[in-house]
Amino acid sequence: MANETKRDILLDVQHLKKYFNVAGGQLHAVDDVSFTLERGKTLGIVGESGCGKSTTGRAILRLIEPTSGSVYFEGQDISKLSKEEMRKLRKEIQIIFQDPFSSLNPRQTVSQTIEEPLKIHGMKNKAERQARVRELMETVGLAERLANAYPHELDGGRRQRIGIARALAMNPKFIVCDEPVSALDVSIQAQILNLMKDIQRKHGITYIFITHDLSVVNHFSDDIAVMYLGRMVEKAPAEALFEEPLHPYTKALLSAIPVPNIHSKKERILLKGEVTSPINPPKACRFASRCEYATDKCRCEEPELIEVKPDHFVACHLLKKE
Amino acid sequence: MSNDMNKTNDVMLDIKNLVVEFKTEDETVQAINGIDLKINKGKTHGLVGETGAGKTTTALSILNLVPFPAEKPTAGTIELDGVHLYKTNEKGECVPALTEKDYQSIRGEKVAMIFQDPMTALNPIFTVGDQIAESVRLHQNVDQAKAMERAREMLELVGIPAKRADDYPHQFSGGMKQRVVIAMALACNPSLLIADEPTTALDVTIQAQVLEMMRGLRDKFGTSVLMITHDLGIIAEMCDEVSVMYAGRIVEYGNLEDIFDNTRHPYTQGLFNSLPNIEDRKAELKPIRGLMPNPADLPKGCAFCPRCDYAMEICKTVRPERKWLSETHCVECHLYDDGKDVSKL
Repeated sequence: MANETKRDILLDVQHLKKYFNVAGGQLHAVDDVSFTLERGKTLGIVGESGCGKSTTGRAILRLIEPTSGSVYFEGQDISKLSKEEMRKLRKEIQIIFQDPFSSLNPRQTVSQTIEEPLKIHGMKNKAERQARVRELMETVGLAERLANAYPHELDGGRRQRIGIARALAMNPKFIVCDEPVSALDVSIQAQILNLMKDIQRKHGITYIFITHDLSVVNHFSDDIAVMYLGRMVEKAPAEALFEEPLHPYTKALLSAIPVPNIHSKKERILLKGEVTSPINPPKACRFASRCEYATDKCRCEEPELIEVKPDHFVACHLLKKE
Repeated sequence: MSNDMNKTNDVMLDIKNLVVEFKTEDETVQAINGIDLKINKGKTHGLVGETGAGKTTTALSILNLVPFPAEKPTAGTIELDGVHLYKTNEKGECVPALTEKDYQSIRGEKVAMIFQDPMTALNPIFTVGDQIAESVRLHQNVDQAKAMERAREMLELVGIPAKRADDYPHQFSGGMKQRVVIAMALACNPSLLIADEPTTALDVTIQAQVLEMMRGLRDKFGTSVLMITHDLGIIAEMCDEVSVMYAGRIVEYGNLEDIFDNTRHPYTQGLFNSLPNIEDRKAELKPIRGLMPNPADLPKGCAFCPRCDYAMEICKTVRPERKWLSETHCVECHLYDDGKDVSKL
């Protein structure tokens, strides 16, 4: 805790909640999530469908309004900003979407798509804008001859490069990447991951990397947060998380990855049952119904996220601070 | 002769020189360009490759369900448990060898297919019990009550309580829907199960459950499986043999050790290098450069040549022949032409 002051914290999320009103009550998509993120680092958020990882990313950017909680970006609480102030800040904070097939306007060419944010944020000189578009296309590895192509003429990998160029247009400090490579084939996926790493190295960008793919997140992130049904159940440096996962859910999740190695003798922890409904969840550990170690306490009290080892946070009644 | 007979009896599926072309007004899309694939009884054969490699078209050819505008293979033969599914006519064209009625009785009974997306593979307006019972009634001479009984039995087998037979698909989660689809596929004890990306739409913990269950059922019934996937991790876990497909060709084939430990084709090697290594997070990804070729305009020589780090002059013009490196392992690559160093990669 003492060295906290030395760290250059870019993003500080406190008690972020997003509840949706649905037919059966309230769906707790994100339920009291707190974390900090250092400048220039990557936080990977992993979890299965419906765990709230995308909602967390969007609530941080206020693409959906959080129900409650604060998001401090460079010390400023952006959850309190007006629409106009927020619009100005959007230069600094960007998002790359999962599906490069639906996140691009089919009636805009590659250069128009990349140029749009420049226009919106007041780059008035057309020649200047076009020079910037060319520069961005080069950065993300799009050939200049594609400037006038439409999205439907391009494959998924190239479309995702447009999405990245568009996000980079205003030199953001922070980008939320929401499953940026999930829709791509592995050979193309590796190209895009390498590109995003290069960009981070060159421009010092901070990423939140949301994915369900554990081997990708391990490769890409400095820290990893594991979410389960709207709660953050574990957060640790990537190495620590993979070497010594502490939460029973993280253990099961890591053991379930099929490894492309025929000599790997991994002990598989098979979870029983399915993810329970996030609608009006009971006051209990949300993993208790699938957890083989669950006790009575787990079924009536929600565990807090505590730091059990330096930088290693876990929300589980079985684990105590060392 | 008797030896030959024995040989064919071990073979569940035998595809020879299969070609599928889709002719449109202005181009010919070469989806499959001459593949051979053999699955012995009780074995699981993995077919791995990226989008557009021709994996699903191969599966649909076995079921005689190749979509318009091709509707049938252009050339080649497919034999299923000794029965010819296609034959070559006087003009040298490939034509169906059976009547549509015969194919119908094969589909679901001898060969069953699990599709990738369980959300769209089930009919939303019938209960899951009815849907499983339907395939039983189509193939076995039983009444509705008997068929429903079988449906409940199958649900239990895939880990769903029998009483849920009266529920509709929307009442199930993704993982459970896929189990229903698997129950339906196995209801008539097929000899060959084609699983087309059966767990791609599922979360990883659910995927682990479903794969475990499939393994158990396969071993119990001795079903042969054609496992189509893009995930080498699943191949390592489920399969006996692997075919790596690229641009409509099988570029490398072998058993698990051949493919995972003695990788020979530059494309297979590229696939492995593109995957983040879970045991070494610092290892740099080495992607395959460039993109898949347009199947309507394939390179003249080796289809992988424009992306290959080892490409030579000959690769641009001459398509490599299949070369057997051992009894179990073959590759289509000029690096292994006669007299060349076979441990190149």
